[in-house]
Order: sequence, then structure tokens, then C-alpha cells
Amino acid sequence: MIARLLNRAQTRRELQSPAWFADYSLALAAIVIALAGIAMNYTSTWRSLSFEGGDPWTVARRQAIFVGIGIVVMVVAAVVDYRVLRHYATPAYLAALGALAALLVWGPEIRSARSWFVLPGVGFQVQPSEFAKLVVIVSLAAFVASHEGYLRFDTLFNAGLLLVVPMVFIYLQPDLGTMLVFAAVAMGMLLVAGAQLRHIVVITLCGILALVLVFSIDALQGPRLLSETQRSRLTAFLDQDFEPLEASYNLRQSQIAIGAGGLWGQGWKQGTQTNLDLVPEQHNDFIFTALGEEFGLIGGTILLALYAYMSVRIWQIARIASDPFGRLLAVGVLSMLLFQVFQNIGMTIGIMPITGIPLPLMSHGGSGTITAFAAIGIVISVGARRYSL
Amino acid sequence: MAFIGIVMVGLFGALFTRLWYLQVLETEQFEVAAESNQVRIIITPPTRGRILDRHGVVLADNVRTGVVTYDYSRYSDQHTEAVLTELADLLDVPAGQLREGLADQRTHPLAPKVVATGLDEDGLLRVAERSIAGVEARWDWVRVYPQNEVGAHIVGYVGAMSERQHRELIEDGYLPYERVGRAGIEGLFEAELHGEAGRTKLEVDRQDRVQRILADVPPEPGHDIVLSIDVELQAAAESYLRQGLIAARKTVSEDSGFFYPALTGAAVVMDVRNGDVLAMVSHPTYDPTWMVEGLSLAEYQSVFENPYSPGALNNLAVQGTYSPGSVFKPVTALAGLEAGLISPRAAFHDVGYYEIPESRGCSGRCTFFNADRAALGTLDLSGALTRSSDAYFYKVSDDLYWIDGPEQWAIQDMARLLGFGAPTGVQLPFEKPGRVPDGEVKETLFELSPEAYNPYNEPARWFPGDNINTGIGQGFVASTPMQLANAYAAIANGGTLFSPNIVEAVVSRRAESFGEPVLEFEPRVLDIVDFPEGSSVVREGLSNVTNARLRGTAAKAFDGYDHAGYPVSGKTGTAQAQGLNAVLRRKKEDTAVFVAWAPSHDPRYAVAVVMEEAGYGGEAAAPVARRILEAVRAYEQRWPEPQIAFVPPQPECPSVPEALRGDPAFLGYVPEGCPWGIQLPRANTPTDADGDGIPDVDQIEGALPSRPARRTELTRRHRQAQRRTEGAR
Repeated sequence: MIARLLNRAQTRRELQSPAWFADYSLALAAIVIALAGIAMNYTSTWRSLSFEGGDPWTVARRQAIFVGIGIVVMVVAAVVDYRVLRHYATPAYLAALGALAALLVWGPEIRSARSWFVLPGVGFQVQPSEFAKLVVIVSLAAFVASHEGYLRFDTLFNAGLLLVVPMVFIYLQPDLGTMLVFAAVAMGMLLVAGAQLRHIVVITLCGILALVLVFSIDALQGPRLLSETQRSRLTAFLDQDFEPLEASYNLRQSQIAIGAGGLWGQGWKQGTQTNLDLVPEQHNDFIFTALGEEFGLIGGTILLALYAYMSVRIWQIARIASDPFGRLLAVGVLSMLLFQVFQNIGMTIGIMPITGIPLPLMSHGGSGTITAFAAIGIVISVGARRYSL
Repeated sequence: MAFIGIVMVGLFGALFTRLWYLQVLETEQFEVAAESNQVRIIITPPTRGRILDRHGVVLADNVRTGVVTYDYSRYSDQHTEAVLTELADLLDVPAGQLREGLADQRTHPLAPKVVATGLDEDGLLRVAERSIAGVEARWDWVRVYPQNEVGAHIVGYVGAMSERQHRELIEDGYLPYERVGRAGIEGLFEAELHGEAGRTKLEVDRQDRVQRILADVPPEPGHDIVLSIDVELQAAAESYLRQGLIAARKTVSEDSGFFYPALTGAAVVMDVRNGDVLAMVSHPTYDPTWMVEGLSLAEYQSVFENPYSPGALNNLAVQGTYSPGSVFKPVTALAGLEAGLISPRAAFHDVGYYEIPESRGCSGRCTFFNADRAALGTLDLSGALTRSSDAYFYKVSDDLYWIDGPEQWAIQDMARLLGFGAPTGVQLPFEKPGRVPDGEVKETLFELSPEAYNPYNEPARWFPGDNINTGIGQGFVASTPMQLANAYAAIANGGTLFSPNIVEAVVSRRAESFGEPVLEFEPRVLDIVDFPEGSSVVREGLSNVTNARLRGTAAKAFDGYDHAGYPVSGKTGTAQAQGLNAVLRRKKEDTAVFVAWAPSHDPRYAVAVVMEEAGYGGEAAAPVARRILEAVRAYEQRWPEPQIAFVPPQPECPSVPEALRGDPAFLGYVPEGCPWGIQLPRANTPTDADGDGIPDVDQIEGALPSRPARRTELTRRHRQAQRRTEGAR
């Protein structure tokens, strides 16, 4: 019976429901990572929460709610045909720009950045730049898909323009990390879309040149183009013994936490760095340190393997997608995932500078988690409709 | 697409490699870092132990006072300004006065500085309730010295840590602002006095919020130190020495025609029975309170760098080395007796000088004159000591020099036996060993600093002249006042050389063992010297030094003294000092020395007085010693109970049948010093109370009244000796 059904599915694939071809393992890997994320949210906050007399589950419960919403969003995104997104690309893009612009005007300053809207009544904060990442992926995919094969320089230029506007808004928040995610995403997508390597190289060089220029103007006591935090973080990365109590404190503490974890880790709720709140922002950007300290190399490797599995599956989906739009969507999500994982884990173990990028699916935060699930859902949707026309 | 795949593999590979590096290869380093990250240790300083005299009078104590400290090195100048203004307002003192505290150079540059002291509880609360960043208001213990300068050199003082101490002591649980012993007992017994700091080990989080108390060890107070000195006697000795020096400054030196400078001096009183130091004085002195409160540079210089009070911080009783002069003669006498050179009763004609016989082939200086070239006439050993005949001891020393055998160094050997040339071991820091010169020592001195010791480039051989100079305590001989008192104590008590004790006990103040001694210094017998036959003649000679009828050298000083009640044996010394007076730029005047014990027949206390550049021993030092001895007698009456009884070893005496006592034929069989033994005939016996023809002095050894003995202080050997004596009686 099953054999017959399979046979029918194989022979008349395009008539079958996309649910037959959906990559459930991808969803499963994402959910496993998200569950681990809830656990790590708990272990890195319960001690200080109970010290302050609060409910030790506060943060973890919130994250669990986000993950729940995220899973629903993922399912919805997977069920909806990704091709309809093309029609919503332009309004979504404009809405995202509007939100980002509004942030700069009305956004409250939280942790020295205007990155969040505070939803009145609920107490949640919304980070538009997270959603904007997905919106830009969709818009860019929609824009470039029609030009796939050979991207002329003017197309590339227009695509760049599409990118640069939200990037500038995000830079002004300031949120250097998210801006870099945009750059990575764009580079991956444009490369796959057929941009010539020399164009990419030229753009990359221009970008690096611009960064160096900004940094050196800053260093030469010119106008302050980098914020104080950005500058000291970059300096701390370049010289890891610089100002041990200020900027490189995070770096040092997170490396101590991970290094002290050893091969097997210190055990669930046993990490001293984690327990004593010595690593700042641990349930957010530095969540990997909690895992590294408490579950050691084994835990870290399993997490890396899960991310790697997800990346490989998304990569395969990109290869077998039925149209350029779907492929570019998958590549955009893959680039986003790869860059964020590498940048986030890399900064906790000292091979990347510290930038405020969350670890997808793990870090505490509604916007990031829901965006990540939505992105996975879109990719599943792309993969499930690889045979449908 | 393949490109993205490669990037993917590369990125995950890089992450994994770095994780491997951190968590497997370098993990140990990070484990240590994680451990030290989370623990804070709070140190509570202990209260410092007190210093007491032998009867419990407090010499060093602590009083509580409120202090305000400000950790200025961690805050900006603007913050400091604001803090000082606020504190000035709170405490109602000018801000400038608070700022002076910040400039304190005596503590570590990064340590919190004390800006205000002497606050009461109200004041402390007023500061504390503001909780100003960097400001701490707390109780502090301040060291006080209730006796001020009395015993200053013994007690020492506490002060801020030096940079080096700061580095070392912080590791032992000291706090940066703590004051540590810098001199005397305070310095030497720092470990005992300080106590154990309390340690509270806290687990803290990133914001230094306390999570858990891991360990809480309360501070343990430091131990009390009980000294063997008596404060009243100490104070008396100090004032007598000072008065003696002032009197000497009003005397004109016959040598130079100037007044004697008499700037420095030292005196020691010790118990000859057990080596306890009853008083130890050094002049010039200081008040340790100055050192606690701190002196300005100008004040410091005016006290401690004043050329007219040189070396006020030095305890000259153990750190000053002087030529002993004639007080060294008993050593030479004992050496001569030991070598068999001296017949105690043989007559010697003192013609005012001694000339090395030509048969000995003298070269260079061959004639040695008495002081003032006085010819003293016919003397035996006793008279030579009483009248301080240099010629007699020139001859003894010269004769010893020419002996071909180990006896050649008899003076040096006897001096070393009596504790010269080595630190006595009294519990005080920086004790000098002094010097007993022989051929080797001379060579070393000539080699080390030829400009000081050998300006005329003479050969470094040991000449007869060197031995002759040594025999009268001149030349290269150097000793501390402590050594002099100790050696005379040994001569007085029959040969027991002690390592003097200035600390009786270290007494615990901890709850579980309050008042119990942690450490007790029992009499430390360094050596028991077997004096040669005839040593009683040496004691006899010394007992006559204060006798006017026998023209003793200190007779004038002891004019009107209660000789019968508290007879004194002693020796004057007038030592020529080498070199120039640093301030006056002229040749140094003589050092006046007087060493004595009392009572003569029942020695209990030895006194040594040394006064630099103060003239004759008999004129300058002996009066001081006399007044100190009178104070000692008063002390004995004040504390009539024998505090500590120690019976020096006695000769083994056979019991003599009643019928045979006094039989001249039998006398030779009883050892000297025993009742009914050989009693040396003497013409003029000053004290013969019982009228049996036997002078009282010679009854010392056999006729000591038995005293209640503190068990612990008697060695087995001494107890046996005592039992035997009692059996003999």
C-alpha cells in the first residue's frame, strides 16, 4: 500500500500535494535548536531572576511563547505558496522602510540604540530590522529573479540601491551587526543570481574601503562616524588585551565561560560564569556561552551539526528549486543563517568582532525568533513546491 | 552554488576548530580564570596585641577611633572635588585639611587615603548614611604608647608599610592601610602581635552582588607580649642616664679643654640569676607616638637627623659597639688565671708603665703607660682590678702573647666564653655582635677597610702591642652594653652565661585560650663557664672598686652609698675612642663605662652604663650606675617576693665533720668556694660581719639562702647542684 502510494507520488509528482515533498527534517532541526534555546534562556537567567525575587522562568517562558508563535508562522509560511510573496514584495518593502524610518524618529532609545518599538500594553518590544531582513530577502529575490543568468552592472546597481536604503536606516539606529547581515545576504544572493565576480569584488572593496575610511576618520579625531560602543568593540577585537574592564570584558568573559566548559561541560545549571551572570547579555547575543560552558565541546558540536544540517538542507533546496525566485529566497535565507551563526558564535569564541547579532532560533527575542522560523517556513515552502509549476 | 557550499564548510570548520582549541587544548587556563572570577575575599583586620611590662603595665595599646577614607585613585578629579566639599561640609572641617590626607606619601599610592580621623559614632554615621562613592567611614584601631618615650627603643613603633612590605604583607592578609611594626618588639614580634585577619569569602556576580557566603572566618586578635622590664625601673634608669649625660656636658675634658659632648649613652639592668633584662636604656630617645601620628619631614629631620641627638632611632644598648676599656680587665684576669700565668696573690710592682722585655725582641712600640702615667705601687690581682692598673694587665697580656700554645689566645677565648664577639640573643632586632680581635680579625679588618684601620700601611700581623691593647679592652675590642652586662652577670653568678631575655612570654588573647602563654621564654643558658681557681680574687678585686679606703676607681661616685646594705662590685672603664666627632670635627673624647653587680655577696642584678664622650668611667658612668643600683634596690623592696629564683650552679662540696672544720691540714681537700674550703688570706677585709676571719665575699658560693624556685626555670643540672649543696649543709 505504502509502496504503491510512493510510486504514484513519484510518477505523478506535480499532481501531488506539496506536503509530500516538504522537508520535515529541516523544520525538526529548527524546532530542536529552538527548544535548546529555551533551555539555555532558562539556565542563563534563572539565577539572577530568583536572586531578584522573580520567577526564574520569566525569560524562558517568554522565549517559549515566541517559539510557539514562530512554529505557527513557519507552518503558515510553508503551507502558503512562496510565489505569492512576489506580489507582496513591494508593499512589504515600503512598509519595512517606513517602520525603519519611523524608528529613527519615534523609536525610544534602548541600550543606546533606536532599534525597538515598544508595543504598548503587551510589554513586548518589536525589532523591525529583524523582519526587514526577511522583507529585503524577498524583495531582492523578486527584483533579481527576472534578471537571473547574467546580471548587468546597472541591474546590480539597482539591486544595491534596494539594499542600501534600509542599510543606511539600520546604520543610523545604530546597529552595525544587522547591517552586515544585509550585506552578507545580498552578496550570497547576487552571486547566485549570476552577478559577475569582478562586480562583487568591486562592491566588496568599496564596502571595505568605506568601513576603513569611516574608522580612520574616526580615529583621526574627525567627525564621530562610529558610536562609542562600536569603536571600542572593534578596538577590543583587534587588540584583545585592550581595556580589560570595558570593551573586551565581554569577549574575555565569554571565552572564559566556553573554555572552562571543556570537553563535556560543567553540566546543566552548573556553569559558574553563567550562574553568576558574569557574561553580559547572555540570553541574547551571548547565549552560545551558556551552552559552551554547561555542555562543553560535545554540546557545541551537536548545535553546530544541527546548524550545518539545516544549512545543507537549505542549500539542497536552493539547488533543486523550481524557479529562480525560490532559489534566491533559499540562498538569501542560507546566507542569513550562515552569516549570523558564524558571526555570533565566532564573536563568543573570539574569531569575530563583537556585534549585536542574535544567534538564530537560540537567542532570546521575539522578532528574531519569529523571523528565523518564517524564513525556514519559506524555504520549506520552496522545497515542497519544487515539482509544482 | 558550489561556492556557497565551500563557504559553508569553511565557516563551520573554522567554528569547530576554534571550539576545539578553547575547550580541549586551552581549557585548563580558562577553568582557573573562571574560578577566580566569582570569588571576593573581604579581609577584616585583627586587633593588635598589647605590649606589657613584667608586672602588667601597658606599654603599647590600641584605642578605637572613627576614620574616613577616600579611595581617590579610582575616581576622577571632579568627583574628588565634590567628595571633599561634601565631606568638609559634613564634618565641619576645611576641605584643604582633608586634601592633605590625600597627599599622604606614607601609604601605597593606590591605597585609600585617610582624610579624617578621631570621629565619634555620630560622625561616622553622618558620613556613612550619605554613601558617597569611594568614601568609607569605619572604626579603626590606633596604636598608643601610654608610657611615651619610656622603653621606646625596646617597644619600637608601628608605621605605614614600606613599598616592599606592602607587596609581601598584602599576601599574608594585611590590608593596605594597616600599620605594621617597624622597630623593636613591635617589629620583631610582628607576626605574634598582628593576629590573624578575618576572611569572608563571598561568591559574587558581575555586579559584585553577594550570592553566597562561602566561608566566614572571624579575625583572631594578636597575642600580648610580656616584657621582662619593669617600667618604673626603666623610667628611673632613663632619667638617671639623661641626667648623667647632662652633668657630663658641664664637665671640662682635661685632654682637650672643651666640655664633654656626652650626646649618647646606654644602660642595661639585668638579673644575673636568670638573664632577665629589667631595664634597657638608650639615649637619645624618642616618643613612639610621634611615629604613629606621623611626623612632617621637618619634624622628622629635627628629631632624627639632628647632629646633636645622633641616631635617636637606634637602640645603642644592643646596636652600639664601644671599646670596653678597663671593664674588660676581669676577662684578661680570668684568662691569665686560666693559662696559669697569674698567681692571684703574687705581688706586682706597678711603676706607671710596662716595657716589653728586650729578650722578647720588641720592635716598634715597646713601652706602654698607665692612664695618666700614675705609678700605683705594689699590687696583687685584686688590687690591680680595684685600682685599674694598666701595667699589670699589660704584663699579663704580653706574657700570654709569648706563650707558644693554645693559651696564647687565652684572652680571646675567655672573652668569647663570656659572650663577647657574638650577639647575646636578646629578643631585639639588629643586635650587633661586637668584636673579639685576634690575628684573623685584624687581617680581615685591614683588608676590608685599610683607610680606617690601617692608615699607615702596617703589616697585618698580630703584634704583642695588639694583645696588650686587647688586654685592657682597647684597640680592636668592641662590645655592646648588653654584652658587658651579660658578661659581668656570668662573672657574678659563678659562670652561667645566659642569652638575656627581654620578652618573658607571648600570651594569647583568643577566646579559647585567653591568658594562656603561647610562648614562654625560660632562662636560656648559653654556656656554663668553668672559671679557673682564683676567680674569687677577681670578684674580690671588683668588690673593692667602690671602696674608698682601698682607693677603688669608683669610690668617689659611691661616696655616702649604703655599702653595708647593698654592696656593689663593679669596674670602671675609660675607653679611648677612635676617630673624630662628626659635628665638632675634633678627636673624640673618652667613653665612660661602668659595669657592676649588686649585692656583691649575693649577686642579683648587673648594671652596665656606657656614655660616649663623657669622660672618666669613675666620674661620669659610675654615678649613673650608682643611682640605677639604688633604683634597683628600691625595685627589690617594691617587689619583695623573688619574682624568679634561679640558683647558679654550685661547686660540689663534701660534708665536713664538725671536728675537722677549720683544720688547716684539711682545708686543701675541700674545693674552693665551699664552706670550710680554702679561704685566701687578705689584709683588708671590708665586710666581715660574722667576725670569723673569713670575708663575707668569699662565702657567696656556699652560703646562698635557698629561695623558692620556679620549677620550670631550673635545668636538671642546676637542681642537682642545689640538692647537693643542701645535703652538704
